[in-house]
Amino acid sequence: GSLLGDLHYTREGVPVLIVGHHILYGKVVQLEKPFAVLVKRGAGEAGPEGLPACYTVTALIKTKLLFKTRPKPIITNVPKKV
Amino acid sequence: AMRNRSEVDATLQTAKLNAAELLPVVHCLSFGPQAGAGECCLLQLEPGLCAELEAGRSLVIRGEKDEHAVLCSKDKTYDMKIADTSNMLLFVPGCKTPEQLNADQASCNIIHSQIAGFSNHYWELRRCRPKLKKLRKLLMEDPYEGPDSQKDQTFSKYTTEDLLSLIQASEEEILHQLQVLSACKIEGYWRILEFDYEMKLLNHVTQLVDSESWSLSKVPLRSCLEELGSLEPTEMIEHILLSYGRKYVDDGEVYFEMHEDKTCRAIAQMLLQNAVKFNLSEFQEVWQQSVPEGMTTRLDQLKGLALMDKSSRPETISLLKVEDLPENNQERFNSLFSIREKWTEVDITPYIQDLCAEKQTVGALLTKYARSSMQNGVRVYNSRRPIS
Repeated sequence: GSLLGDLHYTREGVPVLIVGHHILYGKVVQLEKPFAVLVKRGAGEAGPEGLPACYTVTALIKTKLLFKTRPKPIITNVPKKV
Repeated sequence: AMRNRSEVDATLQTAKLNAAELLPVVHCLSFGPQAGAGECCLLQLEPGLCAELEAGRSLVIRGEKDEHAVLCSKDKTYDMKIADTSNMLLFVPGCKTPEQLNADQASCNIIHSQIAGFSNHYWELRRCRPKLKKLRKLLMEDPYEGPDSQKDQTFSKYTTEDLLSLIQASEEEILHQLQVLSACKIEGYWRILEFDYEMKLLNHVTQLVDSESWSLSKVPLRSCLEELGSLEPTEMIEHILLSYGRKYVDDGEVYFEMHEDKTCRAIAQMLLQNAVKFNLSEFQEVWQQSVPEGMTTRLDQLKGLALMDKSSRPETISLLKVEDLPENNQERFNSLFSIREKWTEVDITPYIQDLCAEKQTVGALLTKYARSSMQNGVRVYNSRRPIS
């Protein structure tokens, strides 16, 4: 699949995400209320005659990396104007 | 082609980040093949629900097309609402935290991680009261009038499975309510007894207790079934004893301690439903005479069943059952204020107690839905809005 970017951590544990020409600094957050990731089973069969719709919990998310600060632009070398 | 270490290092250099200040391992994130399919959704878990799932138990979403969906665990019910996340959430299975990386002494320094999905909204849960009014409504479609009933066969009968798919409540909450309603299973279907039939059964028992001079706290099951088995099905006799008594075993025999409050309350209902209003003192006299010898009637046994008017001369009493009132908070208060303009806290409490959420008090409800004022030195509550 297509690339999003590189995720690093500083030695202090701060997540650093490089996406395109931006750097984002974030923090590790332990979720007070975990998320369950639900995937519908038997998609397309949810009719009155079919089996009742069923979701499978495929994952429980207890940690997130939160990037809410303004992305810092990466300034690459720009050739001087002639 | 997957990103390699030299590409990662080149990016770090361009970004003017010092690799020495970073942990050696990098996650190269890319979108997985199914990421955009939108097949997953997020459910935010209230305390306890995560443990339920991890223990291998399931949760159920219940509701008909015209109802708001609720989620049920084995013993609790939650309202569901869609909420927006403030940022987009990307799910990255296997993404490691700094602690996990430090603990893991693996030699590789690139982890190629796939984003399995993403979302900017989730289902939010809020613990709510189980929606049990419908249970009574369904069971009242065809109350059981006894084996001799001449009624036409209807097919308004419900098994436990039927109720689980129709009632927006957890299984434990439903089963508890069935007990509160004194419902019983007849031929596999849950039935509520028609009130007159229930009183007929209760009367058989109290008459027998009287004629045998048994103590009300030691009513023998075996003798009841022997003496009354010719009048009514034995399951119904046992059911009425279980509904109106506390079962115990003494010396190998089963006995029941009759419940004074519940018995007196039922007899009061029987008397009150015959007229719109009664003279309070006349009612109290008739009521005491109607209950089994040895039982004492008290007005506080009638909370949520009857309403007294202490302001009229003579004082009156009339039937008002909390279970006949609306389930929704605002509608309940509208209904109460259209019955009586001003209520004291003592009078209104039995009619709003069941509306209280997990840690909510009656006082909090009154603050929210009513306006208070003083009348003759007593605090009274009336509607916040005009009631037609």
